[in-house]
Amino acid sequence: MNLPALISKRPPAYFYASLNVLRRSLSQAADEERIEIPKRIHRGPTDILKALEKTISRDPTAAHYKYHDDPYLIPMSNIGKRTFAMAQESGRKSAHWIRKEHADLFNHKEADPAIPSFFPKLVYNENSQVTIEDLTKAIEEHRVQDAQFIYNLLKKSEQEVNDKLKQMLLELVCYFNCDDSIDEEFIEERWFKQSSNLKDRMRKTWKDGSFAEELFQSVTNPTADTYSAIIQGMNKYFQADRAWKLFEESQAKGLVLTTDAYNSLIRVTNFLKESADKRLDFITNILSDMNKCGVAPNLGTLNAVLHSLSSMGSNRSAREFLMGLLSEFRTLGIEPSLGSWYYVMITFYKERSPPTTVLYEIMNQIKDKEHSIRDLSDTNFFVTAMDVCRNHLNDVELAKRINDLLHYGDNYNLIGDSFKESIYYRHYVILMVANTPLEEFMRDIYDLLVPNIYIPEPGVMNEILKQIELNGIVEYLPKIWSDMVSFDHANRENLVDYVVDIMIENPQPENPSLTEHFSKIAWDIYKRIEEQNVRKIGKISATGGKYGKMMALLLRNNDFEQGCKIMEKLDKEHQTIPGVPRLEDLELFIDHCIENKMPSRAIACIQYCSDSGFAECGALASKLNEKLTLDESHLQKLFKIVGDLKLSDKISQEQNESK
Amino acid sequence: MSLIKYSCNYSLFKHVLQNNTIQKNSTRFLQTSSVCLKNQAGRYRITPKGDFPLTYEMANPPHRIAHRKAWNSWNTSNLDGGVRSAETAVEDMFIRKFVTGTWHNLFASEVIIKRQHNIIRIAGIITRGLSPRKMYFLIGYTEELLGFWLQCPVKMELQTIADRKDIVFKYI
Repeated sequence: MNLPALISKRPPAYFYASLNVLRRSLSQAADEERIEIPKRIHRGPTDILKALEKTISRDPTAAHYKYHDDPYLIPMSNIGKRTFAMAQESGRKSAHWIRKEHADLFNHKEADPAIPSFFPKLVYNENSQVTIEDLTKAIEEHRVQDAQFIYNLLKKSEQEVNDKLKQMLLELVCYFNCDDSIDEEFIEERWFKQSSNLKDRMRKTWKDGSFAEELFQSVTNPTADTYSAIIQGMNKYFQADRAWKLFEESQAKGLVLTTDAYNSLIRVTNFLKESADKRLDFITNILSDMNKCGVAPNLGTLNAVLHSLSSMGSNRSAREFLMGLLSEFRTLGIEPSLGSWYYVMITFYKERSPPTTVLYEIMNQIKDKEHSIRDLSDTNFFVTAMDVCRNHLNDVELAKRINDLLHYGDNYNLIGDSFKESIYYRHYVILMVANTPLEEFMRDIYDLLVPNIYIPEPGVMNEILKQIELNGIVEYLPKIWSDMVSFDHANRENLVDYVVDIMIENPQPENPSLTEHFSKIAWDIYKRIEEQNVRKIGKISATGGKYGKMMALLLRNNDFEQGCKIMEKLDKEHQTIPGVPRLEDLELFIDHCIENKMPSRAIACIQYCSDSGFAECGALASKLNEKLTLDESHLQKLFKIVGDLKLSDKISQEQNESK
Repeated sequence: MSLIKYSCNYSLFKHVLQNNTIQKNSTRFLQTSSVCLKNQAGRYRITPKGDFPLTYEMANPPHRIAHRKAWNSWNTSNLDGGVRSAETAVEDMFIRKFVTGTWHNLFASEVIIKRQHNIIRIAGIITRGLSPRKMYFLIGYTEELLGFWLQCPVKMELQTIADRKDIVFKYI
């Protein structure tokens, strides 16, 4: 490089221009703007982890990270997903059991500072020396049973428990109905637990005469908080009548209960009052009571009222009430949560109710926002929205919007549990498969979701097969079949029959590789039927029609040997196999016999036709006679089956003419 | 720095001095016994039939560590300023005994123990001798119980093989 030349070259004009800009901006900064150092933002110990976590989204090509990343250990069916995760949790539980049984061995202090959750849990017995601190700790850690036990021990040793602690204990036992809940450590159990057991949800489960009531009675001067706690507990577990009595008692004493206590009363309206009008009156009364006492309503109030309205049946007055309620709460500045919208949806979208556009309006309010959980019912929103979208509105665009909202920010946390998640995807997939072009569905939805995020249930698979049949796009069939095998659907009779029917009705003479695939699937199904356990309950029935179709599929790919095996099976077990194959399948077999010069097999087939009562066996026999030169013994056999060959020839000709 | 230089020079000096004395004595030693300092640990002898299977790990003798193969324990306790070196060694031994016993006859490789911060990761290759469900049970059990014992998060990182022959590197 010529360095002196480069230096002597005059810098271009823009160089000076940019220098001027720089000079000006520097002087400006000095004159007017002062650099403002932002205030330090205090970070928590896990904030950086959360920030890192935000950079990673769910990878649909990999199994969930709770499973081991190994082909043998990745679950391939819904049952697998459940059992693998639960098995791991079960292993963890046995470790907990070992620790409990040998508590003396696990008291060493390895970590510094000591981490209490690694140590064995404290066990209290009749002779334990307990203090007030133990009780406080048990309450703080939500150890419900322990707290009750410690309280009784304290009472026995005549130690005074102050009123504040008593109140805390009462609130704890009322909330948990005197029982321990599932340990928060066992997240899989919580995830897979069937939460939507309706029977369990709407039934009185409050333990009458339990510790909570004893504790309530032992409070000498019950305050508003004491009453609130017991009323809330009873209402939570649907002991509505007694809660109402206690409420009246407290009102007689002139106590002002908490908002949550009022909310719980509204929530059990349907247990207290019978008809819709009475219920509405009851709610209005309670709300005006609250107003009189100066108790400010909150989101819980809104959701409680909506909950009661939603279970009133399709009632016009309930809907009008709901509209008024929403606007009133809006003026109060209470933003409805997703749970509120869930109740609105189930009020408006009942079975056989006229279609409304409520969900569109709801979506306009909540779209493109990150939602956090504010009410227990919030987790019901997405699954119900998708349900409405499929069963009432049948709107693909709306479904996409709901799905986008679910994947916005951390909204996926609101999906609820595994049960709700699978129902959500069931609705989504069925809606999409029926209303989008199949290629688009397979590319954008099936390949994305299946199998790591969602595994289609048999019913959904049926829908997908239906679309394949309707569109005649059978290229997907080999893929779908291999998925069905791994999802444990290959033993579902209706699905297997459906696959066979689709294959038989869509011959692919110009696509040999697909024909080969079909033949492989047919042979696979045949093998599965052969190998299934005789004593198994829901096994695939082996009918002659199905065998015939499978044979035809094999023959289309010129798998003559395998076709023969099926024909032999049909022939040998003619008495036990119900039904007979279609004639065209048998004809195809005879054609292939002729092609392969196997007259004895063809004659066996004709014998089978005759035994099965097909009138056309004469025609088949003459066809065989024409195409192949048969020897004497073969001819004799044929003669035995159909009688005079020439005669039958004539008959068939006449038949053709008459056709 | 200067201290190191000095000590280097000093040892060199001593070495020269010793060599000088040997030369001065001008004595020769003759070794009559057989050589006993042969390295044997971590090596496998060739069998007469030559059918003893070796994994890659077994096929490489210890002096190949860091060249052709890596360590079985990964931690920083033996580095300059590292802490708990003795405890780490004992704990690793405990983990190995526990894992090989709990996963009876399943481990086809060495148990690799990797420590990062407060996390212990236990890696290895296992055969598919159990159903996946039972394996998940053992994973949960091992992770949790070792966690209680060592009082830190423990994770298993397993890979399965269909056949023990899959990891045979050579036969000797």
